[in-house]
Amino acid sequence: MAILSPSEPMTSGDRRARAATLRALLVLGLVLVMLAGLGWGAAGQTDVIGALLARFGLAQASLAEMTIVWDIRMPRVLTGALVGAALAVSGAVMQGLFRNPLADPGLVGVSAGSGLGAVAAIVLGGLLPAPLLAMTEGALVPLAAFLGGWAATLVLYMIATRGGRTSVATMLLAGIALAALTGALTGLILYRATDNQLRDLTFWSMGSVAGATWAKLLVAGPLIAAGLLAAPFLARALDALSLGEAVALHMGVDIQKMKRIAILSVAASVGASVAITGGIGFVGIVVPHLLRLVQGPEHRGLLPNAALLGAILLLLADMLSRTLVAPAELPIGIVTATLGGPFFLWILMRNRALLEG
Amino acid sequence: MLSAKSLNLRYGQRRVLHDVDFTARPGEVTAIVGPNGSGKTSLLSALSGARAYDGEIRLNGLDLRDLAPARQAQLRAVLPQSAEVAFPFTLLELVRLGLSAGLARAHPGDPTTLVRAAIARVGLAGHEGRMVQQLSGGERQRAQLARVLVQIWEPVLEGAPRWLLLDEPVSALDIGHQLSIMQLAHDYARAGGGVVAVMHDLNLTSMYADRVVLLQAGRLRAAGRPEEVLTDHDLSACYGCALRTNTAPPGARPWLLPQSAAT
Repeated sequence: MAILSPSEPMTSGDRRARAATLRALLVLGLVLVMLAGLGWGAAGQTDVIGALLARFGLAQASLAEMTIVWDIRMPRVLTGALVGAALAVSGAVMQGLFRNPLADPGLVGVSAGSGLGAVAAIVLGGLLPAPLLAMTEGALVPLAAFLGGWAATLVLYMIATRGGRTSVATMLLAGIALAALTGALTGLILYRATDNQLRDLTFWSMGSVAGATWAKLLVAGPLIAAGLLAAPFLARALDALSLGEAVALHMGVDIQKMKRIAILSVAASVGASVAITGGIGFVGIVVPHLLRLVQGPEHRGLLPNAALLGAILLLLADMLSRTLVAPAELPIGIVTATLGGPFFLWILMRNRALLEG
Repeated sequence: MLSAKSLNLRYGQRRVLHDVDFTARPGEVTAIVGPNGSGKTSLLSALSGARAYDGEIRLNGLDLRDLAPARQAQLRAVLPQSAEVAFPFTLLELVRLGLSAGLARAHPGDPTTLVRAAIARVGLAGHEGRMVQQLSGGERQRAQLARVLVQIWEPVLEGAPRWLLLDEPVSALDIGHQLSIMQLAHDYARAGGGVVAVMHDLNLTSMYADRVVLLQAGRLRAAGRPEEVLTDHDLSACYGCALRTNTAPPGARPWLLPQSAAT
């Protein structure tokens, strides 16, 4: 596949055609993986196409098949795809914002901030006045996760960026401190949790799309979608920003406005993702990195392809998590961390100069 | 016209520009010279809208503070002293970034043609596919210049001059490229655009500048035609070393010879 080879000689210097070809392949891949995700499970082979068409009266399917495909697997597959897309796009946006290929929502404390928000909402939500609770019912956890992620991103950016330059070392260290602090606060809140809440939170913190339901998806989906839809508007500014803040300004980018949108979009999509699936690491760092190797760093092509590849990878990881220890399920966060951790170390070895610079 | 009146600039408590008046005209190359730390780059960054300042800056008669970043980018482009590129762009992709700024959409024809023309103009044709990180310092400087050129390719657009602001455009270049880049700036000005360049090399300044602004410790020391500003007295006092200016033949632009500190 010459088109995917990064070492292919490039006399034209233009990789947009590659990005377009890759996008077509990824769309195809996503459709296949989603169909596989709908058909693959403990109940054995299911006639996915039949069940899908039956919904619109175009085919016949049994009630059991309809239930499995539409009520159990469909929300799970859609959640997996949305969360994978959200994590990958957020990773790409944060890397562009921090001008560094090592930034990732999971790594620098954004997910931890979202987690704190979510845990606080789960455990302490009952303390809210009843009318307020009734109003925010169901939306409370995603909203709290969004606020937590937003606050964490904002603090991180303010600490790590001085005079338009973001120090990688500061960013990573501040991320560690932030994660530790939010972890401690989360621990404090857990003291108030009941046994049931504790059990839920433990599994949630390892990351899983198993708990996905239509109800959760309806609340978190729009937040994730809002974050994803904002991303394309950042493409031009993120490209300009890769030359530095001063240059981006000279190229006509309204830096402050762009940063606000970027931070909000990351917080919305990561926060809502963490709220339904817990912490799933490394998607945000692996996906954009792989894509940049093939199609170059232009965000106009990178962001949509990151969404597609992120969705595909998360769905594949979910299938692994469902089958590796079947009939039990492995939390998906364990799968992504097992695969993503070594990959991250590999990137680190290749980019040592970035950290030392 | 690009002008500043009573310009004051501070970095924290430190005042780096004191009541500087400045004028650059379209059709001319205006050079800003002065020793290290005299405020050359600070003056250029204020003119480029990147720094908060006291006083007044007008770009084509418009108050700079009233112009949104996007509007400024249509009227002027800025070549920084150095710019790190955070991600692995090819030369072509880097230069193409200039298209999204400015008013490249107003340019007739295929934008890729414009990008390739700019690359050729800085002498990098044939290198389009190379990674920016793998270019030499001088090549990278010229690549950035090509990106800047793409942003404001037409020196005059809809009757208004556009401005090239260059911060030490030739400091990383060999003498052949120094001359060709200065010639490029000169041609841009002669075509109706305006050029403001921070310069270290006083001989190149003398050869190519129509107007020279000499700064000393954040203040305007002298401004005028090269032969008015580049004088033994002003330069020696400013740079703190002995310099001898020569004009040969008489009436030609001056050239400078530094005098050994020992003599």
